[in-house]
Amino acid sequence: MTDTDLPAVQEMLLSQGYVAESGVAMSVYLARRLEKPLLIEGPAGVGKTEMAKVLAQALDTELIRLQCYEGLDTSTALYEWNYQRQLLQLKMDERSDLSMTQKEASIFSEAFLLKRPLLRAITHHCSPVLLIDELDRADEEFESFLLEVLSDWQISIPELGTVKATFIPQVIITSNRTRELSDAIRRRCFYLWIDYPDFDKELAIVRSKVEGIDAQLSIEICRFMEMVREQKLEKTPGVAETLDWARALVALHREHLDRQTVEDTLGIVFKDWSDVSHMRQSLDEFLAAVGVRAKPAPQKE
Amino acid sequence: MTEMALRGELSANTVGFCRLLRRHGLMVGPGEATLALRTLREIDLSSAEQFHGALRTTLAKSPREQAQFDEVFDDYWMVWDRATDLLRQQQQRTEVSEPREKAPQQKGSFVNIRDWLKGKEPEDEEETAGFSPIEVHSQRDFAHFDVDELDEINRVVVQIAKRLAKRLNRRYRHTNRRRGQLDLRRTLRHNLGKSGDLIDLRFNRKRPRRLKLVLLCDVSRSMDLYSRFLIQFIYAFARAYRRVETFAFSTSLYRLTELLRSQDMDDVLARLPEHAPGWSGGTRIGASLEKFLTDHGDQLLDHHTVVFILSDGWDTGEAERLALATEGIRARSRCLIWLNPLLGNENYRPETQGMLAALSHVDLFAAAHNLASLRALARILGQLRSGSLPRTRRRPRGVDATGQTAIAVAGDTGDGPNGLGSDGLDDDGKPDRPTTTSNLRELAARQLQKRKDFRERES
Repeated sequence: MTDTDLPAVQEMLLSQGYVAESGVAMSVYLARRLEKPLLIEGPAGVGKTEMAKVLAQALDTELIRLQCYEGLDTSTALYEWNYQRQLLQLKMDERSDLSMTQKEASIFSEAFLLKRPLLRAITHHCSPVLLIDELDRADEEFESFLLEVLSDWQISIPELGTVKATFIPQVIITSNRTRELSDAIRRRCFYLWIDYPDFDKELAIVRSKVEGIDAQLSIEICRFMEMVREQKLEKTPGVAETLDWARALVALHREHLDRQTVEDTLGIVFKDWSDVSHMRQSLDEFLAAVGVRAKPAPQKE
Repeated sequence: MTEMALRGELSANTVGFCRLLRRHGLMVGPGEATLALRTLREIDLSSAEQFHGALRTTLAKSPREQAQFDEVFDDYWMVWDRATDLLRQQQQRTEVSEPREKAPQQKGSFVNIRDWLKGKEPEDEEETAGFSPIEVHSQRDFAHFDVDELDEINRVVVQIAKRLAKRLNRRYRHTNRRRGQLDLRRTLRHNLGKSGDLIDLRFNRKRPRRLKLVLLCDVSRSMDLYSRFLIQFIYAFARAYRRVETFAFSTSLYRLTELLRSQDMDDVLARLPEHAPGWSGGTRIGASLEKFLTDHGDQLLDHHTVVFILSDGWDTGEAERLALATEGIRARSRCLIWLNPLLGNENYRPETQGMLAALSHVDLFAAAHNLASLRALARILGQLRSGSLPRTRRRPRGVDATGQTAIAVAGDTGDGPNGLGSDGLDDDGKPDRPTTTSNLRELAARQLQKRKDFRERES
């Protein structure tokens, strides 16, 4: 109970520099308590993947990551036989007196097994954090396959037998909603929707993540981002972009936003050509609304 | 004691709450209810925030569900809150004064919740399920359908839809080869000259993917004649083929997928006007398609998706908007097919502003006004089976649908503008030859050209 009651989880996230509302902590807490997967959805760049990393760090355990993509198949996710090594072994054994069965047993042993993330998570010596990242990119068939693993926590390898998990991993599944995940997978998980942060939360994130940032600059950045997200854009920037931008401005030793700097660094915030040009056009009114002087700040001697 | 009683009531109320959520369309089964009860054991029940958060993460599994959850939550649990407060007050009082005296009243407050659960909920359901047609512009009674006609049409339509679904569901053609399976032939060939040892394995990872369909149906007044007929087709098709998303639009956009999947045809027909409030009203195609693109585009469109627009193109909105929206949809899907029932009419020319604006972004423009044209459509869909076809790219700028390709193939079929039913694929006598999407485009261009010719002949 000690490391897993609700305030402790909140504390834990905060200590790792992860600023989260109570809803987030609640979902993480329940997922840990009841050993269920946690499905995190939300727009890109709001810290879904980060959550898994933070959790692994806080629990002082390994993070095993399965990055999903279209065409991801079970051999990449589960295990593969190291075919080339098996072949070499057979060549080496050619002259030996081993019987066929012995040879077969030797090449189908764990030494020749290439463990992929899911098998690694199951056979890990303690409970790891298993991050199944961007599941929406994988095919539906893979999703169905995943269901089986997530409910039984065992994998059968025909040549070796069934491998059963000794410790159940803490599973975090993320999705950008490029397609809807199946109901079946939703049913098995706790659900968490992380949205773009509001001004206060983003400010807290920027201040905790970007070292040596000027107080005024961080406020201006967050106000700017808040307004940006109200625009109709091709790709709305996430927190990741805010942090990149803040770091860049700190590296440039800026204490305020000024027009020139903003214009020069637009590419950090906006990742779509039409967004950049759209912003460039309306930059003046935008900055005025944020409360930034249109002309560059007078150089201090 | 009271703590225990509270828990008991809490369980009952939680289960009741789950039932209420289910009635609001959330995916909450007995499994979720059990899980919810388990989560409540893990939290501090005196914290309203924790209580809300725990139930929310357990029971609401998408942004849409979360919104619905929040809507229902307060209404339901406010009563509970008040009861708990009452309980607490009474507890304090009983501690001060003589115990037990207030006990019956205490129970009474809980009984009230029960009554509320039993008595009020059905009423509540009636309201929320939308029996009061506030937004409906003109109520239509589908019961006035000619039953014989309906049966006959339905039978044929279901038949077509099923055959098509079966075809589209088939994933492998000629072979049972699974993905990642060893491709022996290529392996052998590749390892020739390596002293016969198969060192470098070749796998066959190519695997056809099934098509997804998105249907956008115009249910405005100008489509009235056909929308009933089309909805039959869509319904039958959605029953047989799971990967269909259906939307209705008129002045706004409504998602019908769930409705079509979960209910009886009669129910769907009876309740459609509620779910698509603009049923038989005006049309704003551009705005509706735009809404589709922004709200659902990311999730539903990819290069395995075939998008259908069923509309006559009588738009009361801006043509420019429609052009942009169709272009956007086109760019993000495999192909875009516009079914226009008016195309079945000899005197029709796609000259409405909206139609003209959209046409340059449409891969195939066809009629869907009778069973024959539906059949032809089904045939094209069957040939669109994915995997074997390259994804079509955006049409090069400057060449519109009536451009040069059209001229090259124009005139080889001489029949009238009857849409798909009479021309196109069967020309070379091999109706089942796989059609590439460029063929489709050619087809569309051919049809347009034919219509142009027709117009010229007339004038």
